[in-house]
Amino acid sequence: MTNSTNNWIECLKKETGLEAKEGTASLQYVLDVDKQEAHQTLAYLKRAGFGQLSLLTCIDWIEQGTFQLIFILMHWELGHHLIVRALLDRENPEFTTITDIYPGAAYYEREVYEFFGVHFRGSAVYQKPLFLERWDDMPPLRKDFDPQAYSDGKFPKREHPHVFKANVVEVTE
Amino acid sequence: MKEVKLFLGPQHPGMHGNYSVHMYVDGDMIKKARPTPGFLHRGFEKLMERRFWMGNLALIPRICVVEPDINEMVYAMGIEALADVDVPERAHWIRMIILELGRLAIHMMSIGGIGGPTGMYTATYWGIAQRDLILDLFEKITGARIYHMYIVPGGVRKDLPEGILEDLAKVLDQLEKNLPEYEELILRHPIIHTRIKDNILLPASVVWELGVTGIGMRSATGAKNDLRKVKPYARYDQVEFDVPTATYSDALTRMNLKYQEMHQSIRILRQVMEKMPPDGPVRTAFSPGSALRYTVPAGMVYTAVESSRGEYGYFIVSDGKEKPYRIAVRGASYAQGLLGIEKYLPGYRIDDASIWMDTMGVCSPEIDR
Amino acid sequence: MNRTKSMFSPIRAWEYLFREPVTLHKKDVFVNPREASDRYRGFHQNDLSLCIGCGTCSEICPTDAISMVAVEGLIHEEGKKDERPAFDYGRCSFCGLCVDICTSDSLCMSKEYIHLSQDPDSFFYLPDASGIHEKEADKGYQRDEVSELLDLVRQKMDQEDPSRKSSFVEIMKGYSKKEALEEAARCVACGICTDTCPANMNIPEYIRAVFDDDMEEGMRQIYKTNPLANVCGRICTHKCEEVCAISHRGEPVAIRWLKRYLVDHASEEDYEAGALSSVTAFVQGKVAVVGSGPSGLSCAYYLRTLGYEVSVYESQALPGGVIRYGGPEYRLPEASVLKDISMIEKAGVQFICNTKVGVDITLETLHAEYDAVFLGTGFSLSRPLKIPGYEHPDVLYAIPFLASVRDYLRDMGPIPVVDQKAVVIGGGNVAFDVARSLVRLQEKLYGTSCVHMAILESRDQMLADAEELEEGLEEGLQVHFAYGPQSISIVDDRIKGLHVTKVQSIFDAEGRFNPSYDQTDQKVLEGTQVYMAIGQMPEYAYLNDEMRDRVLTKRGLIAVTDGGQIEGYPWLFAGGDIVRGPDIINGVATGHQAAKAIDLWLQTKP
Repeated sequence: MTNSTNNWIECLKKETGLEAKEGTASLQYVLDVDKQEAHQTLAYLKRAGFGQLSLLTCIDWIEQGTFQLIFILMHWELGHHLIVRALLDRENPEFTTITDIYPGAAYYEREVYEFFGVHFRGSAVYQKPLFLERWDDMPPLRKDFDPQAYSDGKFPKREHPHVFKANVVEVTE
Repeated sequence: MKEVKLFLGPQHPGMHGNYSVHMYVDGDMIKKARPTPGFLHRGFEKLMERRFWMGNLALIPRICVVEPDINEMVYAMGIEALADVDVPERAHWIRMIILELGRLAIHMMSIGGIGGPTGMYTATYWGIAQRDLILDLFEKITGARIYHMYIVPGGVRKDLPEGILEDLAKVLDQLEKNLPEYEELILRHPIIHTRIKDNILLPASVVWELGVTGIGMRSATGAKNDLRKVKPYARYDQVEFDVPTATYSDALTRMNLKYQEMHQSIRILRQVMEKMPPDGPVRTAFSPGSALRYTVPAGMVYTAVESSRGEYGYFIVSDGKEKPYRIAVRGASYAQGLLGIEKYLPGYRIDDASIWMDTMGVCSPEIDR
Repeated sequence: MNRTKSMFSPIRAWEYLFREPVTLHKKDVFVNPREASDRYRGFHQNDLSLCIGCGTCSEICPTDAISMVAVEGLIHEEGKKDERPAFDYGRCSFCGLCVDICTSDSLCMSKEYIHLSQDPDSFFYLPDASGIHEKEADKGYQRDEVSELLDLVRQKMDQEDPSRKSSFVEIMKGYSKKEALEEAARCVACGICTDTCPANMNIPEYIRAVFDDDMEEGMRQIYKTNPLANVCGRICTHKCEEVCAISHRGEPVAIRWLKRYLVDHASEEDYEAGALSSVTAFVQGKVAVVGSGPSGLSCAYYLRTLGYEVSVYESQALPGGVIRYGGPEYRLPEASVLKDISMIEKAGVQFICNTKVGVDITLETLHAEYDAVFLGTGFSLSRPLKIPGYEHPDVLYAIPFLASVRDYLRDMGPIPVVDQKAVVIGGGNVAFDVARSLVRLQEKLYGTSCVHMAILESRDQMLADAEELEEGLEEGLQVHFAYGPQSISIVDDRIKGLHVTKVQSIFDAEGRFNPSYDQTDQKVLEGTQVYMAIGQMPEYAYLNDEMRDRVLTKRGLIAVTDGGQIEGYPWLFAGGDIVRGPDIINGVATGHQAAKAIDLWLQTKP
């Protein structure tokens, strides 16, 4: 572990030219990286003290035609959270697996593939189904997936006659 | 010898919630384990994108059933950060009451819950009964026993009811009096003690590999990695409490840490009662207008709190409209509950599988969401 | 930890036999249920008489558990719908957001928490004020000011300070964008206002457009039912705000000011795109409109959207009627009127001014030249009060006075002759318009003002808007409530003042207008001019005697069918004041209805 002191921001800038900005909450930083340099940046950050991957997720910016991968890293000594963001092409969302850096990302990658359709090159398992059983539609967290339409098409609607008074509870011992 | 495939769950007395592990066993030994989540997948992240900022209040507690308040807290903290609103002082303290009561309730359930996988149901009954007294307090404060929907963005939903602090003090006294009894009955009980001591080990290297947080992390590394200390929220920086740690993490250590944390929670609650402002506002509006048109300024934020199982966070993205653009939930048991099971459950015996699940802190609803 | 225990230690467990159990007996769950806490969120209770059926609970419900159900025996009345919320407890999550946002304070939750039934339909339930079963239940969760989810306070609007009285500058300054967006955010889009608005304007829709900052959509929504957006954004009687759901517990949404915000802030392109989107080419017949007041303009505009060629006949030099010659400049600036009228002109309506139907051209001619004729001539005469001295030349009337003020302000006439002291008779909005215009002219001419108002009604019964009185007092009006004019005192051919007597009651025992006075309380309001503003009446120069007999009602209005068609003269339609009495938004509404009726009649005419 090198550079695990408070000045990881300066070291990061010196060594990679990337600048982490202050985030919306206290002790929180945001770092935008290119898809190509994401991998090496994450590896660097892990060495710099961000030993934990708290969350890997994705945002569908459908109007801009991009996906944004979000890596949230945690630096326990400093209590810093760092949000690393990388944009992917929505038409052809591809990324390299980060399980070699953060092994715990394996299931997050499966989840992001299942819910957004992002491919993780270099991972043998990311396409295995995780939460959704026998899913037959587009990845459901994409913005163009309409869950109401999906469920309306899949399940019948029940009509209720409305009552003013419910039946009295019958007590049986 | 031939491998046999067994299913642990989704319905199993030793499991918290509906969760399944496919185990490939050779005799009694687990050779391979495949976590199979999804039984409690309700699409919350998608649902939240389609509901008003306030409407989500009804969904979020359901993400973690037994410890619902952390959801409300991280959601509120995220919105407050995005909207840049200050929470009234008294609301901070009320939130701490709720959060620490929640911690007591889930630790009580968890300590009692060890009776499930070990087959000593008395422990479970006792734990649940004690938790119920805490739920009575919740009912008085929030109007509901399980899904409180009380911590709202900008503060809390209603001020504390009259006389609640006396009730709280009574419950704390009673709990403190009973805790040694529970320790003796549960943690030191031979049936349980022998089963969990030196069993289900969690080395520090595994903690970092998986990203385990909370008691798992603290019991293995000895570091005081508690978000209440590392980046204090609410008013945790104004109360004194210790973070119990250990450097050898077996199932018993982790149970013991929970037990010690309960004492710390009682200590925090006593200080809260003493230090909280006696009156004052408890809620500020985070947006003008009616709740149908509350908006949150565009931006993204990650907020996290210390749950009973570790770092529990929401990543909230707003595009400035009346509904969230995206909310991602970091369930605290994601790390150990998926990759952890797959890699580290093998090697244990079948009858230890549910102890593994229980003491590692695997909560299926927050994994599935 | 591993301490050795005594072999007798199990015996210790016997003590638990004598402890009081923390659990309940099973039978008590039903027979003697544990009472829930005071805030318990149990099954819902709804006071059906308080509930207005606005459906806000249904909107906020995160689980779609609430549907609005028509209830037999309830009628759809002003400010109340005939629907009430029904709860699907298969979906309800007992969050109580519906209670927190209830506009009428009718909804709460009870302490009841047990309902068992094998009939799933019994979980779909329309609550009333009692419990879910046929017995009373205690109230549980209720809204308080902390859990409030409505915004009860209206955005304040900047206004000119009282020194404004020396000019005709507009008093209300309008909302800024931020203020308008925040005001629009208060709306719950229940649509009760739409039902009450005479023109059934799409109020929630255009407020939504303000909230979304979509000006073009806002203009389109307004012009769907009202082509006098500027005028109604400033001087509408806003009946909508009286029934606003928010008004039950707070200040109503400033619907009128939001409409004004749209017209003031929309860019020219957005404005035109929204206002003219449904105007079509000339494809149908020709229609003449008599009178260019609100009803005439409205009728003409909507006929244009239906493809008719429209000519509007106006007796004055400028089109607009009451909006051009009536409303005072400080409420309704000329530019706003012009914007509305020019948009209607852009829609292809032709104006023929200085042409009085019945004098310069006869109704018969119009009938011969056009396929249909619409009458919207309004109340164009002031009603005189025949007290001693009323024929004196310094007794002046509201309508010509206000017209001369507006002509003066647009440099089309001389400054009206105003004395240093004047008395106004009347207590409606028009009387205040006269009095406050007088103040401004006096300030201009003499640097000081002195206007007395003799109002027959007491302060509580006052007919004018409260803000008229408030602002008028700020400007120095001397208002005399419950004083009835008796005579005008004239010395040496000059008016000295107005004799007034204290009013005891305005109506007699049968409810007829018949004021009684307290003769011991008399005074003289000093002034050398007396302005009468006690009401307006119509002028029917274009009706011949035969028509008068056939179409006029006892009250002097024109009898029409629903669409404004006049019986016996199917080609003739009417709207506005002469059908419903004076009110601008009524004029817009009847003009619109008549346009539709004219279209229907022309399309189905054999």
